[in-house]
Amino acid sequence: MKKHRSISNTIIYIILSVMSVIWIFPIVWLVMQSFRGEQGAFTSYIIPKVWTLDNYIKLFTDTRLFNFPRWFMNTLFVAVFTCIITTIIVLLTSYAFSRLRFKLRKPLMNIILILGMFPGFMSMVAIYHILKAFGLTQSLVSLILVYSGGAAMGYYIAKGFFDTIPRSIDEAALIDGATKNQVFWLITLPMSKPIIVYTVLTSFIAPWVDFIFVSVIMKDNYQNYTVALGLYQMITRENITAYFTQFCAGAVIIAIPITILFIAMQKYYVEGVTAGGAKG
Amino acid sequence: MKRFISLLLVAMMLLGLVACSSDKPSGDAPATEGAAETVTLRVWGAQDDQEMLQGMIDAFIAANPDTEWDITLGVVSEADAKTKYLEDPAAAADVFAFANDQIIDLVNAGALYKVTRNADDIKARNSEGSIEGSSVDGQLYGYPLTADNGYFLYYDSSVFTKEDVDSLDTMLAKANEAGKKVFMDVSNGWYIASFFLGNGGTFAIDADGNQVVDFNNENGLAAAEAIKAFTADPAFLTGDDSILVAGMGDTIAAGVSGTWNATAMEEALGENYAAAKLPKYTTAAGEVQMGSFVGYKVLGVNSQTKFPEQAMDLADFLSNEENQKLRFETRQLLPSNTVAAAEPAVAENIAIAALQEQNPYGTSQKEVLGTYWAPAEAFGATLEAKDYSIDLQTLLDDMVEQIQTPAGN
Amino acid sequence: MESKKITDTISNFFKTINNGIKGFIEGFTKGDIITKLSYIIMGFGSFGRKQFVKGFFFLIIQIIYILFMVNSGGYYLSMLPTLGTTTQGEVWDEAAQIYRISQGDNSMLLLLFGVSVILVTIVMVFLYVWQTRIAYRNQKLLADNKKLPTFKEDFKDMFDKNFSATILFLPMLLTVLFTVVPLIFMILMAFTNFDKNHQPPGNLFTWVGLENFKSVFGGNPLWATTFKRLFVWTIIWAIFATFLNYILGMLLAIIINKKGIKLKKFWRTIFVITIAVPQFVSLMLMSKLLHDQGAMNVLLKQLGLIGSFIPFLSDPFVAKVTVIVVNIWVGIPYTMLITSGILMNIPEDLYEASKLDGANAFQQFIYITLPYMLHVTTPYLITQFVGNINNFNVIYLLTGGGPLSLKLYQAGETDLLVTWLYKLTVNEQNYSLASTIGILIFVIVSTISLIVYNNTSAVKQEDDFS
Repeated sequence: MKKHRSISNTIIYIILSVMSVIWIFPIVWLVMQSFRGEQGAFTSYIIPKVWTLDNYIKLFTDTRLFNFPRWFMNTLFVAVFTCIITTIIVLLTSYAFSRLRFKLRKPLMNIILILGMFPGFMSMVAIYHILKAFGLTQSLVSLILVYSGGAAMGYYIAKGFFDTIPRSIDEAALIDGATKNQVFWLITLPMSKPIIVYTVLTSFIAPWVDFIFVSVIMKDNYQNYTVALGLYQMITRENITAYFTQFCAGAVIIAIPITILFIAMQKYYVEGVTAGGAKG
Repeated sequence: MKRFISLLLVAMMLLGLVACSSDKPSGDAPATEGAAETVTLRVWGAQDDQEMLQGMIDAFIAANPDTEWDITLGVVSEADAKTKYLEDPAAAADVFAFANDQIIDLVNAGALYKVTRNADDIKARNSEGSIEGSSVDGQLYGYPLTADNGYFLYYDSSVFTKEDVDSLDTMLAKANEAGKKVFMDVSNGWYIASFFLGNGGTFAIDADGNQVVDFNNENGLAAAEAIKAFTADPAFLTGDDSILVAGMGDTIAAGVSGTWNATAMEEALGENYAAAKLPKYTTAAGEVQMGSFVGYKVLGVNSQTKFPEQAMDLADFLSNEENQKLRFETRQLLPSNTVAAAEPAVAENIAIAALQEQNPYGTSQKEVLGTYWAPAEAFGATLEAKDYSIDLQTLLDDMVEQIQTPAGN
Repeated sequence: MESKKITDTISNFFKTINNGIKGFIEGFTKGDIITKLSYIIMGFGSFGRKQFVKGFFFLIIQIIYILFMVNSGGYYLSMLPTLGTTTQGEVWDEAAQIYRISQGDNSMLLLLFGVSVILVTIVMVFLYVWQTRIAYRNQKLLADNKKLPTFKEDFKDMFDKNFSATILFLPMLLTVLFTVVPLIFMILMAFTNFDKNHQPPGNLFTWVGLENFKSVFGGNPLWATTFKRLFVWTIIWAIFATFLNYILGMLLAIIINKKGIKLKKFWRTIFVITIAVPQFVSLMLMSKLLHDQGAMNVLLKQLGLIGSFIPFLSDPFVAKVTVIVVNIWVGIPYTMLITSGILMNIPEDLYEASKLDGANAFQQFIYITLPYMLHVTTPYLITQFVGNINNFNVIYLLTGGGPLSLKLYQAGETDLLVTWLYKLTVNEQNYSLASTIGILIFVIVSTISLIVYNNTSAVKQEDDFS
């Protein structure tokens, strides 16, 4: 029995190692490019001949063309608020659909499900004009609204999760005289760490990687760009040769806050929810 | 539940009210010239041009001290100008730079003021091609800035002589001898057009605004045969810019590209760095000089501007001889101004001199519509893949039919 | 079964409306003077009976609405039938030597604001009817010698009895603003002639009825073939992209979570780092890496594994496989994240019991893990499936739809319907046609997902406690 387990564990380690190499290879390559001293977009060899920190230094000091530090702060600001608002909205919506019963529940769930199916890029111009009517275009606030505005449509995943928490726990609390409000904050939320972390992570990432919406909203307001849009400008036909290595450095820097966030939240995220209550 | 609906409804309504009333129709009458009024203008230019543009604008303000100016800059590259403009014309810049292949769409959308102020001088000082490229139906709509968006041949002078690069056949033969490649991105509508355009191919637009091309006639077929022979040659290499930049001087001995790669090419080739117009290719009827697309960068005045005269004066100033020279010095962009283009410094720049040499064989890109690119690329890709299961004439017919079919018909 | 459900829903809907109208009329005929006044002055039925906060709230809304309609709402409403009548004009100005342009109407903005005004008005009608019902209810409560709810009591209910309303308020508001309004706007656009020949600000566009639908269905054969082929590929892609990612991501989560595996944090972190790098960066790197002359082919050649290059992105079939495989690279870390937490919730005793019955790991996965996970994550799978049907990023950034083919109209072998739509919009600015195709895709996708969703165990087993 023990021997059997150690063999299967060895196989698992091998699989994990091979997969890690495949998954991490492009990232390692990206990191190496960011330290490359030679100019040019691509080299036919993989390991740089000259190693340098210049790409990172330039990214933060040479802000004439690409104001990376400012864009980084913009993105961080937008990401933090988007992440807070989105998480609240997703949790509220999915909790209501999972735990509360009201007349419009089923129709609302279906309507929201359907709404999410229309191709998003087609509504961008309309959203831009709606924001413009509120006098919000080209501002970071409008970006936050754009990124968190559709959050309710992502309710299913969290709802599925809430469904796995035994209802008997809520019911016991309600019998003890708690209000539904208290049940939500004091009982359900503390048990929902994995799904909160998932929501926080995915919503925090969105502003760092989107370059389409932000370009429609910000237009010519270069000061309010986010890093993704800024980086995207570095790889246009005219710029790619001179700026490719800086582009890679920028991508590595974007990855840092997200990785830190994940590592910090990792311990919450794998905690089990129910200690034995059977369901399913 | 009911309270919820009511609150929701109220909030929606209030938001709707705010939204709709804040954007009340402004009525009529664009602001007329007021002497004491501050003239507020916004200019769009590429990111790389911002500093240079700021200098030019400062000079413009200094030259016109009688008016109170407030001129700001926004970053929108020439390539994105049409898209950004159409998303919201009212928020677009008063003066904006765009690539002249967008001019027909912009004019159709009513986006541009006609250039009538000082028009004779503007026409006289810029090259004929650039004026034609900034006009629609004979009416000038833009202020030409540069004649830089084209392509030509970079080559390794240790492999080819100046005479070799006049003929594609000679180049391929010599490249095969040396075990090197001749690079051209044939699966790209922009580059592949050079074969067709060289052999008399034309672009036109019919009365409904649809594209008309004649690439499937006899001349087109001859051009297609030449493309087929080129792509079948062992020395042929395709790919995007990164392949060219990475391989030049190493495995690649010559490649078709534009001025944006000049620095990279010079670095890759060192003292063997050379450039020339595109070569000639051979058909049954004889040698044909390859054509090309010529693109101009143009300044336009937004039809929504509150200060048309001042915006025009600014555009006129930004595109004058002096500022085109400045543009060349800071950005190495071939001027459209005839005097500025004749400067010795222009001829000394290897890449720009080659572009200038190719431009007479060029065709303005302005009459090329959106339907052209995908079928042309598909045609090139078929030949690159050496897929000869369908004969060339049928491929050409298919391509032309697709180019001429607008969506939904 | 399904159709019965739908007819039930529809008949319920009409019943509700019917009851609403009946109640509205009944309130007016049987109402006293205060109730009757509330049919003219909103909120009268409340503040007339000393519910001041609620009453004045309605009154203020009525005043704002009237001011708004007079001020600008009425204008937008009146422009909706024509979408603008004044075209941009020009007059020669001799002194300035220019054709001075006078501004015309902007049909796009008229359409958008017209839609908003209608929406606001519908809301207003509901509020109006609703406050008349409150007035009548108050009258009846007083007649029965009962107390009217105070503002404090109403407020308290918000956090208990009406908690669902309170917590759904903000999400619904944002959804309406950023999803519903743009959606209605886009749908209406399909009934206009908004194309490159009717482009604002220089031109007006107007209503054309079903013209666009006719041209989609009666278009040329190449057009129809393209739609069909891209549709089939979109579905194939969505199935592979969804289920491969799901199964593989879950397996990854299971083996990392397995007892006795060390460095769990380390393994998870490695996979999550790939999420941290922006997709457009990693996909661009991939497309360079997998190019015919790219690093992957060079490497494989140097290792002597292949003779000539593999057309990862340039052969129609290989390219399709490539995008699916790359999508696995992109997607597995996410699935691992989402499934890890849920896997921990599977009761341990189920596994113990099956072990006693002699089940091996594979059987445990098939009979315990998979059914449990499917039960919990079907909604997630549907989201993923829909998301993949509309997966713009992966295709657009990786292949751009290529390799292009002359057998497809303006499309390549890996193009999804959504990327094709995007290309048509960008290349030809034919917004009305793009909306039309968008609606067609939307109808197909939403029908499929709704049927699947409402038949899944996750939804069916929901007990209707209250």
